[in-house]
Order: sequence, then C-alpha cells, then structure tokens
Amino acid sequence: MIVIAPSSDLTPDQVARFIHSLGLDINIKETCYGANIEGPKGQVRKALTEVRKLDPNRIFSKVRAFPIGDERRCRAHHGSRPGFNQVEKEWKDLSMIDAGLCAADRGEICELPPPPEKLPVKRLREIVDEVTK
Amino acid sequence: MKVFMIPPNSLILYDLVERFGHQPLSLMGELREHVVKPEIESPPLNLSQEDIMNGLKYAGIEVPSGVRGRLGIWGPMVDEAEAAIIMHDMPYTFGCVGCHRTNLMLIYMVRRKKIPILEVHYPKTDEEAKVMVTKIKAFLEGLK
Repeated sequence: MIVIAPSSDLTPDQVARFIHSLGLDINIKETCYGANIEGPKGQVRKALTEVRKLDPNRIFSKVRAFPIGDERRCRAHHGSRPGFNQVEKEWKDLSMIDAGLCAADRGEICELPPPPEKLPVKRLREIVDEVTK
Repeated sequence: MKVFMIPPNSLILYDLVERFGHQPLSLMGELREHVVKPEIESPPLNLSQEDIMNGLKYAGIEVPSGVRGRLGIWGPMVDEAEAAIIMHDMPYTFGCVGCHRTNLMLIYMVRRKKIPILEVHYPKTDEEAKVMVTKIKAFLEGLK
C-alpha cells in the first residue's frame, strides 16, 4: 500500500502511471490515497524503491493484509473497511511526519520546550491580594 | 531487527521502521498470511481453533473473547519482537485496534519483555512530529 502525504504535489494517478512505466510484473490499483501494488516480493520492493525516489519524505508505505479487489474488503463489492479510519487519521498526520523526516535529514536536534512551571503559592497570594484590595 | 509496534497496524510506524532499516512486525503482515491461504474452514478471516487456543497462552479463559482473539494474533508477534515502539495517545478507538483493554494488555506484555522499547506520542504539531521522528530515528539506528 503506497500512501501519498497531503503535503506532496504528486497525485495517485501520477504514481500509478509511473509504476506502470517501470514495466514490472506486478498488479497496480490506483486508490484515493495513492496506490496498491501486488506481486512477487522482489518486484514490489523494486517498485517501491523507485516510487520513493519521486518524493522521498512524502511517500509512505505499509503492507496490506487483503489482496487487491478482495471481496471481503473491496468497496466495489460492499466489503467492510475497518482499517479505513486508521489510514484516514494517519494520512492527515503524514504532512507532520514529512516535516519530522526533513528535520531528521538535516540532522536537527529537536527537543520540546519544557512544560510551563507551576504558579508558586507566594505569587498566587500576591495576585489574590491585588484583586481583593 | 524485528521491531514490534503499537498500534500494530500503524502506517506511520511501519514506514519509519522499514525506512530506517529494520523489519516491522505488523498486524497486516500477520493477517495477510491468514487471509490469503487457501483455507475455507472459518471465513472471512480464516481464524482457526488453533489461533483461539494461542490466545489462551496470553490471557485467561475469563478474559473477554475479543481480547483473547486479538492476543491470539498479536501475542506471537510480541514473542518474536527484538525491540518495540509504542505510540501513545491513539486518538481513535475503533476498527481492529479498537479494544482498549487489549491495547493495555499488549503494552503490559511488551514492557514486561526485556527488549529495548521507545515510547512516543502521536504528534499534534510539526514541532512534536520533529521530536517524534528524530527520537524514532535515533532509537532505530541505535539497535544492533
């Protein structure tokens, strides 16, 4: 399963056409989020490596349990889609992950700012006194 | 190294683990073996009696069947794991990772196992994502 991050300029159509142009012995299905590819492991790996080169930090992939067009999942056959919510949520986050990968590539040392300190009791008393005066 | 991830069907974690040169242990990969094998015993997912019995190894008989059934698949993956990444604050509680009790049990099982573990949170901003990705990268590059 190849998923294009929302921050990418690529379209699923471009990705699917590109994979077709590689002339590999694999099945390709264009989807709303990218493409699904299926075939011998070596060929799939090769396709994935080539596709990633198009936009390295904005193309993501994972293995998919069900084959392409499987009646148990395929929407054309009214299959159930329990994993869709997960993909939808993580797809929205991919632009942030893209920012993270770019930072990692640049070798940035990223640390979150420390959480704000708690208000000392003394200062709270002062505020209360000011208000009640 | 074989890296287990929580949530076990995460696209983000699967991609990052693979990108940084390790083998992700994913729910999808495990289920694929079930759903593509020529087995018509128990469609649609081809979960067999053996899988259910596997679940008993990880959770007692009094534990709800949903938890046991999930652990029947996830448990052997935890056994196989050589490292793990846990991503907290899953903002969804539905689908195949929708059972919170199983998720808690899974985190407990992973923590009890003496393997390197990285715990991060789902990012909400770009800054948090940068911290998360750099942490995961450092963790995965540090695994031997």
